[in-house]
Amino acid sequence: MKILVCIKQVPDMESKFRINGAGTWYDESDLAWRINEYDEYAVEQGVRLKEQVGEAEMVVLSIGPDRVKEVIKKALAMGGDRGVHVKDDAAFAKDSFEIASIVAEYAQKESFDVIFTGMQSQDRASAQVGVFLAEMLGLPSVTTIVDFSYADGTVTASRELEGGLKAVVKVATPALFTCQLGLNTPRYPTLPNIMKAKKKELLTVEVAELLKVDERLETSRVYFPERKGGGLVLEGDVGEVADRLIAILKEKTTVL
Amino acid sequence: MEFAREIYWNIGHDAPVLLPMYLLSLAAMAIAGWGFWLRIRVYRQGKPAVRTADPAGRLALLLKDALGQVKVLRVPGAGTAHALFFWGFALLFIGTLLIMAQADFTDPLFGLRFLKGNFYKAFSLVLDLAGAVSIVMLLGLLVRRFIVRPAGLETKRDDVVMHALLLLILATGFVIEGARMAVTELGTPLASWSPVGLVFAQTFAGLGEEGLKTLHVGTWWLHFALVLGFIGLIPFTKFRHIFTTPANYFLVDDGPKGRLSTLDLEDDTAESFGAAHVSDLSWKDIFDADACTQCKRCQDRCPAHNTDKPLSPMKIVNQIGELAFGSPGNSLIDTCQKEALWACTTCLACQDICPASIEHVSKIVDMRRHLVLMEGEFPGEEVTGAVDALEVNGNPLGMGYASRGDWAAGLPVVILAEDAEVDILYFVGCYASFDKRNQAVARSFVQLCAAAGVKVGILGKEEKCCGEPVRKLGNEYLYQSLAAGNIEQMQNYGVKKIVTTCPHCFNTLSRDYRDLGFAVEVEHYTVFLEGLVESGRLKLQTEPFSATYHDSCTLGRYNDIYGSPRALLEAAGCQLVEMDRHRAESFCCGAGGGRILAEEKLGSRISVKRVQMAAETAAPMLVSNCPFCLTMFEDGVKGAELDGRLIAKDLAELLAARIQP
Repeated sequence: MKILVCIKQVPDMESKFRINGAGTWYDESDLAWRINEYDEYAVEQGVRLKEQVGEAEMVVLSIGPDRVKEVIKKALAMGGDRGVHVKDDAAFAKDSFEIASIVAEYAQKESFDVIFTGMQSQDRASAQVGVFLAEMLGLPSVTTIVDFSYADGTVTASRELEGGLKAVVKVATPALFTCQLGLNTPRYPTLPNIMKAKKKELLTVEVAELLKVDERLETSRVYFPERKGGGLVLEGDVGEVADRLIAILKEKTTVL
Repeated sequence: MEFAREIYWNIGHDAPVLLPMYLLSLAAMAIAGWGFWLRIRVYRQGKPAVRTADPAGRLALLLKDALGQVKVLRVPGAGTAHALFFWGFALLFIGTLLIMAQADFTDPLFGLRFLKGNFYKAFSLVLDLAGAVSIVMLLGLLVRRFIVRPAGLETKRDDVVMHALLLLILATGFVIEGARMAVTELGTPLASWSPVGLVFAQTFAGLGEEGLKTLHVGTWWLHFALVLGFIGLIPFTKFRHIFTTPANYFLVDDGPKGRLSTLDLEDDTAESFGAAHVSDLSWKDIFDADACTQCKRCQDRCPAHNTDKPLSPMKIVNQIGELAFGSPGNSLIDTCQKEALWACTTCLACQDICPASIEHVSKIVDMRRHLVLMEGEFPGEEVTGAVDALEVNGNPLGMGYASRGDWAAGLPVVILAEDAEVDILYFVGCYASFDKRNQAVARSFVQLCAAAGVKVGILGKEEKCCGEPVRKLGNEYLYQSLAAGNIEQMQNYGVKKIVTTCPHCFNTLSRDYRDLGFAVEVEHYTVFLEGLVESGRLKLQTEPFSATYHDSCTLGRYNDIYGSPRALLEAAGCQLVEMDRHRAESFCCGAGGGRILAEEKLGSRISVKRVQMAAETAAPMLVSNCPFCLTMFEDGVKGAELDGRLIAKDLAELLAARIQP
């Protein structure tokens, strides 16, 4: 069995975000990077499937500048067999269709039985790459899975629906799955596996070799939500609070 | 008259006595030697460890701690009784050797008899009293162990055999002495030089000479047989501690207290890290189990054990011994149990009090290393999250790394990236950088430095966690990668002196980083500020107030810094009310050993127990010197419902409020 797991490196959401000079994305300085949360579930599920079937190879693919090798190495330390780095310093500017087509271009050279992606990325959150990729490869796709089991070429997966409902879906491989929170608890890589990962194959491919489509979406502007006046909680002695309230009403409103 | 006695009186001093006596003694010693040889083979299952550098110094330590009973005496009561018993028994042993020396060496070879005259009088008196002290102390210990047994004192067959044998040896000794004196010394001036023997002699006086002689010779051989049994049993019972415990004084780790080994993570040949089986530990770790006397002092002081968590340091040490001697193939971690291993706060109370110099903490961390590095396991999901945050942002709180220096905005602090010409680098640490409560401590420290004219620099966003919590949790890999980052930054800026407000940062930078090639001077702020006060650079207003002071484990037991914080408190006018458990006996806040990152799910809360101890002093303020302690005490005060009665403060905050304008 051949398994492909597509992962993305995203900024830690606790980072200090600033808009970049062009006003079309966030500025990359002072950001801490990590593997996209949903992609980590994808990696874990890939490794579990590999461990279950025994005879399997798991490929981990990521698109972006050199720094994305870090997340590929982490996925290899978790149990991936080899990595593919599609080098693209302008990956942030590409739309979901372009990203999916880059992956599809690579994936069609190898016939993967099972493909895992995250449900969405934490930064762009379009949730489209997985389904686009399945469509481009002519595979069935099952989105937002929270449970996964495999037996004899058939996957039984639970999908998360609105309102707490779940749907159980059966699908024959090859197929693609996008992974949602709750699917599994990603493992912490062991030290020997971290060491081994350093020696695993990590192939770098220039994005130009794989990008065959034009962009369909253009980001015209990225901006922070406007600050609308926040609430104010007055605390302390009741008399004092009342005085302060009157002062605020006098100062900032025409009520009094 | 000549003050002396006939050695071997009534026994005979010829071949029918000497041959069996010496041959059987040699046989008993051979059995003991064989017993130890068998045990040494078991110790050798462990990995190599070198504990022989500076043998003269080690020997001096052995003699001081063993003959002086220094560590034993740290706990009065049972410790005092043991020490007195030991000295009494040792004198009796020396007395026996002197008799052997005269009767079978100096007299037959050189015609020299030294057991006479005033020396014999002193010899007689000392041994008589030594016997009396030994027997009384032994009876006291016997009552403690078998009648009014303190909680946690486990009593086994070994203890019964040992107490009985020693008591019989001492009692038969007095019977022999009494019988001999009844025949040869009663009514002579010499008798008063054996006051206890005299009582026995007077008691036996009515038996008549023949009866006394029969009693004497019979008891003599019985006494001899008991002593043979004692010698032979040494390696096979807890008697072995007579040799193993002093040996452990010799084998002590000569590095910093509580040192952990720095793993070579680049070693490609290493297939496993940490300890999963006894063979993954060092031979010294197995030997420690043999040096343990199960006195339970460690357990009595263990903060986890005292709050109903499944950890006893004594049990861990003995479980290692049981596995090594019984079933070395079994899983060490399953035997010791994960819950117990994760409960340790690495507070070092066990190791500090241990009268056998056993190293408990490194064993626990070795097993944690296996859990983390080989199994990817942590004590809980919250810890996995904190570890992930450390990997991404260099702090366990999950805050964006770039905001690490934000607390210092507007304060007289420079960022080294902008200006590296500073008097000190303040290594802020994660909690003082990001935790609101502890940011107040960082600001206070900076104010104090400014008042003393000290130019302070920080690394700001280039600083990362020192790595201590994860190191104690067993994640040596993450520790070393965090350490490497910090070391590189500090070396780049040519830092000359570092001051920390966190004792964990202090211990890690000043000691653990040494193993990684970092050798810059590091001080904890209490020591640094004490120097500024002493030199007159920092002037404090003295206004009387009352407080109790908590010795953090890392500053206290790990680094023996007890005086500086107290001197600063005094300089600020503090009427210090000590808790029962202070200085080396201090009780952990519960946050050490990486527990600051973990939820306390088992037993009661350690922090609550500690603030209750503080409340017992009736002082309105609990002063500490560590961000983890402060965090725990803020929680503990709420948990113990002591709001309004006790406030938790860091020493720096207190001092900053008393800067002389």
